[in-house]
Amino acid sequence: MTENDAREETGLEVEVRLFSGLEKFFPAAGLGKACLVQVPEGATGSDLIRQLNIPADQVFTMFVNGRHAAPEQVLQPGDRVALFPPIGGG
Amino acid sequence: MARLLRVDMTKKEVNFADVPEKYSLLGGRALTSQIVADEVPPACDPLGKFNKLVFAPGLLTGTNAPSSGRLSVGGKSPLTGGIKEANAGGITSQKLANLGIKAVIVEGKPADGGWSLLKITPDGAELLDAGDLAGKGTYEVTAICRERYGNKVGVITIGPAGEMCLSAAGVTNNDPDGNSSRYAGRGGLGAVMGSKRLKAIVVDSPKTFDAPVKDRERFRAAAKKFSDILLKHPVTGNGLPNFGTSILINVINEAGALPTRNFAFGRFGKAQEVSGEKLAETAVARGGKATHACHPGCVMRCSNVYPLPDGKVCAPIEYESDWALGPNLEIGDLDVVGRLNYICNDVGLDTIETGVTLGVLMEAGVIPFGDGEAAIKALEEVGRGTALGRIIGSGAAVAGKVFGVTRVPAVKGQGLPAYDPRACKGVGVTYATSPMGADHTSGYAVATNILKSGGYVDPLKPDGQVDLSRNLQIATAALDSTGLCLFVAFAVLDDPEALPAVVEMINAQYGTQLTLADVTELGKQILKTEREFNRLAGFTKEHDRLPEFFATEELPPHNTVFDIKGEELDQVYNF
Repeated sequence: MTENDAREETGLEVEVRLFSGLEKFFPAAGLGKACLVQVPEGATGSDLIRQLNIPADQVFTMFVNGRHAAPEQVLQPGDRVALFPPIGGG
Repeated sequence: MARLLRVDMTKKEVNFADVPEKYSLLGGRALTSQIVADEVPPACDPLGKFNKLVFAPGLLTGTNAPSSGRLSVGGKSPLTGGIKEANAGGITSQKLANLGIKAVIVEGKPADGGWSLLKITPDGAELLDAGDLAGKGTYEVTAICRERYGNKVGVITIGPAGEMCLSAAGVTNNDPDGNSSRYAGRGGLGAVMGSKRLKAIVVDSPKTFDAPVKDRERFRAAAKKFSDILLKHPVTGNGLPNFGTSILINVINEAGALPTRNFAFGRFGKAQEVSGEKLAETAVARGGKATHACHPGCVMRCSNVYPLPDGKVCAPIEYESDWALGPNLEIGDLDVVGRLNYICNDVGLDTIETGVTLGVLMEAGVIPFGDGEAAIKALEEVGRGTALGRIIGSGAAVAGKVFGVTRVPAVKGQGLPAYDPRACKGVGVTYATSPMGADHTSGYAVATNILKSGGYVDPLKPDGQVDLSRNLQIATAALDSTGLCLFVAFAVLDDPEALPAVVEMINAQYGTQLTLADVTELGKQILKTEREFNRLAGFTKEHDRLPEFFATEELPPHNTVFDIKGEELDQVYNF
């Protein structure tokens, strides 16, 4: 397999952080640690969540680069993605 | 029949009086603010004999309404120069309500300067000499009082900072385990208590949930319904009990709104180290607790018990304290945060104001950013009453003046809490316009800006923030009058059946026919009363502004400024 083939197959890379219990669904990420994940070109937030084996109903908030993102937002190379269940405090 | 307890510190006399009709349906913040507005001259010296210190349980406090044991403490603030209501958990409020006390009003000032303790029991109230307690930290005072008067008593007290009348001093009371850590922290009301030479109030009541209720069956049904709503909501029923309030560290950090290095950045590289998840894990590993109730009958149990390496216990470390003494100072070590928090609790200081003040001192170069040991050393000077210690205890605005710092995050003299107003603009509107000074709790737009509770308003844009803050400030003023913990708001904002259940509880308890519209009206009335007091104390709309660096310095990572204009901020009060 050439380098080009590998790139085509893996698509792009995003930086994912999982918090507040979501990390248990994708233990490789660990709590709050930056984890590089390969997703196919055109993948959305929902696709990423599915790829990480996180049940969709567990994710309440998705930030992409510090901004609230809808599940259908298409991910870009290098995006910083953070996923949270419902939380509050103050 | 509920009564008012008046404590005249000039004559050292106590008197019970009937509750005037106009106060009969007021409680908590509504009552403290109304009494202060009625009885305290707005232009008076906050530390003089004309100021008063008012303690009031909420309307529902002392019943079995869930999470309803909050205590309101009011007076004229030595920190802001305006009206103040500071709100605490702990066990004392339920006891006051069960003794039939609607408010305790402490007035006057003794000529001799001697220290007193107010003891309240089912048999009445009396002032006792407290010379032996003066100079002691709050943990020791609370332990002594529990030994002397029984380990079930509630102890309201101040530390040495309050005795020295330092304007960041808070008023504390204890949780069910005797930790003197449940603070009515903000605005320097501890200094008002100190100015009256009242070291402690001991409240002894055998009952906790037996305040009079007119229609018990109807009340029980409404309380059960409200409790179910809280337990079913993912935040109040799951997030808060599991991780406590510090769970916010990560989400506010990811949103780029976690004030770091005295509000220079919106993200902190070591946020994970001081997060709620880390706190819960460490607390449990050391034999502490990740969930804990600050008062009996709370279903959210968002408190925690964090054992420190030196054998002491900080219970709890809350999000605001965690941020103020951690990321704000570039300190990424929970043990240091816990130690600083413990010292604040013991010496009697508001953790938010203290953290913001230490940030200003770091900005001035007095202490290096990130140097936990230096921060601990400096904070220990407060109890010794050194010049630096007194500056720290006097709050961020004073420290900024003393050291010539212009980047002082404060409004009306009160330090900003744990959300940068450039990346969470709704709460910036609240900071600017609340009669309390920079106070997140008085209109918690973070819920809607970042946590998506009660809808969503983009935190980075100016649009919609004034309306959001206004509505939240009105609703919160009303909620602060019920004795319910503010955190019920997460459920109230999302579940249309929650607020009707609250109104139903009040109606069942008092035999009233209040409607939802009456609740909104009450909130507006409270804000108007507080704002009028401030106007008479010398405040103008020009005081409803953020410090100018928020409009001129961009905040990374979003590189936004606070761009809501003065005339738009003035629209908060267009009701």
